[in-house]
Amino acid sequence: MTSFTCARSGAAVKVVMEDSAKQRREESAFVFEAKALRNPFVSEYSIFYLTILYFFALAPFTPGLASTENAANIFSNLLPLLIVALGQTVVLITGGIDLSVTSTIALSSVMGAMVMSGDQGWLGGSRWATIAGVVVMLLIGAVVGLFNGAAITIFRMPAFIVTLTTMMFASGLAIWLTKSKTIYNLPPSFNAIGKGSVFIVPYALVVTALLAVALHVMLSRSLAGRWLYAIGHNAKAAVVSGVPVGRTTRLAYVISGLCAAAASILYTGRMETGSPVLGQRILLDVIGAAVIGGTSLFGGRGKVIWTVCGVLFITLIDNSLNMLGLSYFFIMMVKGGVILLAALLDAWRNRLLAGR
Amino acid sequence: MNRLITGAAALVIAAFFSSCNTAPSGPKQMTIGVSFETLQTEYWVAGFEAIKSELKKRNIQALEAIADGDANRQLEQINNFIARRVDGIIAVPKDAKTIIPMIKAANAANIPIVLYNRPADQTDAKSVAVVADNFAITKATVEYMCEQAKKTGKKYKAAILLGDLGDINAMGRRDGFEDAVKQYSDLIEVVARIPTEWNGEKARAGVTNALQANPDINFIFTSSDFMFPPIIQALKEAGKYKKIGEEGHVLLGGFDGDATAYQMLVDGYLDADGVQDVYFESEAAVQAVLEMKVGKDVPVKILDLGFVIHQGNLKEMAAKMWGAQVEK
Repeated sequence: MTSFTCARSGAAVKVVMEDSAKQRREESAFVFEAKALRNPFVSEYSIFYLTILYFFALAPFTPGLASTENAANIFSNLLPLLIVALGQTVVLITGGIDLSVTSTIALSSVMGAMVMSGDQGWLGGSRWATIAGVVVMLLIGAVVGLFNGAAITIFRMPAFIVTLTTMMFASGLAIWLTKSKTIYNLPPSFNAIGKGSVFIVPYALVVTALLAVALHVMLSRSLAGRWLYAIGHNAKAAVVSGVPVGRTTRLAYVISGLCAAAASILYTGRMETGSPVLGQRILLDVIGAAVIGGTSLFGGRGKVIWTVCGVLFITLIDNSLNMLGLSYFFIMMVKGGVILLAALLDAWRNRLLAGR
Repeated sequence: MNRLITGAAALVIAAFFSSCNTAPSGPKQMTIGVSFETLQTEYWVAGFEAIKSELKKRNIQALEAIADGDANRQLEQINNFIARRVDGIIAVPKDAKTIIPMIKAANAANIPIVLYNRPADQTDAKSVAVVADNFAITKATVEYMCEQAKKTGKKYKAAILLGDLGDINAMGRRDGFEDAVKQYSDLIEVVARIPTEWNGEKARAGVTNALQANPDINFIFTSSDFMFPPIIQALKEAGKYKKIGEEGHVLLGGFDGDATAYQMLVDGYLDADGVQDVYFESEAAVQAVLEMKVGKDVPVKILDLGFVIHQGNLKEMAAKMWGAQVEK
């Protein structure tokens, strides 16, 4: 196109040739990228294939691993983790990170329990207790997320330090509010969200599936989704293109906070207890699962289905090694190694796709 | 194409799950799941090893899991044991309340569950708890300390390091201490009750603050031996870490019976220590889970009466003190 607008005889031919060469380079880079993605190591389904391979490799040596009972157990274990990891995926797509999710889980848990508990809850015994508790828990998640997003976009602070300090503050607040005590005697209708089921379908599965589908549609079909990817690819270019970067980034952190609060509802319900240290050890699993799935730590890449696969893989590792009777320390080493490998693969894939 | 392969793979997995769903036939080795909330202190490590050793002695396979202080992870690990169809579960709960859904899950799967050293809160769910008699052991330990104080004819100002007061063990030890010193109220005044929440750093800061506020504290009891190192550090900083018989010696007592306490007894710094009998508790826990498995009636609480070790009986009781048997 440039050749026609500025063309004058020979100069025009030279520009056309340069454009053609550039186009060929781009085409060859595209073909290279497509080939690279077909490579099982960088394919978007690589983690799913690895999960299957891992499962079949271990099943003969691990009694009970391949039972329907254990399948139900694996899915029950992965659902709340998946919800937190999905929120984290949205933030990672923008090139950010949310380290405060675990403390959001704890703070939501104790605030919800303080509202609902039959022992000492503000609405203990009331028929509105469960609804009010759930609303308060989600509100906590949204407020923490909005604070993170606002601090990052308005004050231009690094996401790492903002969410790290939010993590410390929220965790301290949860412990201060409860004086380190757990809060028991939550309404059965609330506990049912984490443990109950309608016919044979657990409520937790319904909640998780609805959230996953909603986030998938948002990321793949909506303008907001395209904006999130655009910010992750190149925030400056996104600003120039008219993307409301600040508003969209704040949305990402609010989604992450809401997801953490939704996970807190499931965790608190299944433990029947509000705890100020709930979920404090799962941060590595949350970020690790998203990265293992293929979401890039550098932003611009990530899908709901990838995170589902990542969470499935990390839960399967925990489950299988636990069933094999291996020590906790060995399991931690294996998980750490797998997450490190996934991060290395992410860096390698990034270089590959950049055509270098 | 990718989606086709993915779908086919999912179908194969589903078929594999359903085909592997039958229990293996023939005699099989018994398997017990052992879930510990933490291995943070010597006591828990000693208990964990003692249970595994007891199971090995009886040719029972142990499946181990450590929750690293996370009750939710412990729930998942116990669910894994249940899915593995273990013959029994021995668990050290994170706390008395969060263990209840785990007991319910084990009850629903008809798997016996024994709680080691930390009982559950009031619940309909069925479990057996093997616990030390925290109140009685602490009371006997503190009474011995008070008798030593009485012999000197001096007045004493005392401090107690409290555990996490959400933990029933910590409450038993606190009550045992209070009950003992109450009998010697003319001799001993408690000037500091230091909350530690089982945290060594908080213990150190608490003792330092207490010694600054009351420099004449000369009687300290800790609700767990793992807090001795921070106590020693704080006493050294205040120039008050002296052997028994030396001028300015602070009467020291503790609870657990770990290796640090044993060494302090041998070196002449520690006056008395309440000892939990790890070997009795481990054997009782394994025995209880096996008896529950065959349907025998087992009392819901099995008490470890423990004992007090002090300078007067150190030689004869050291062999029963688990801290004297573990390598430092």
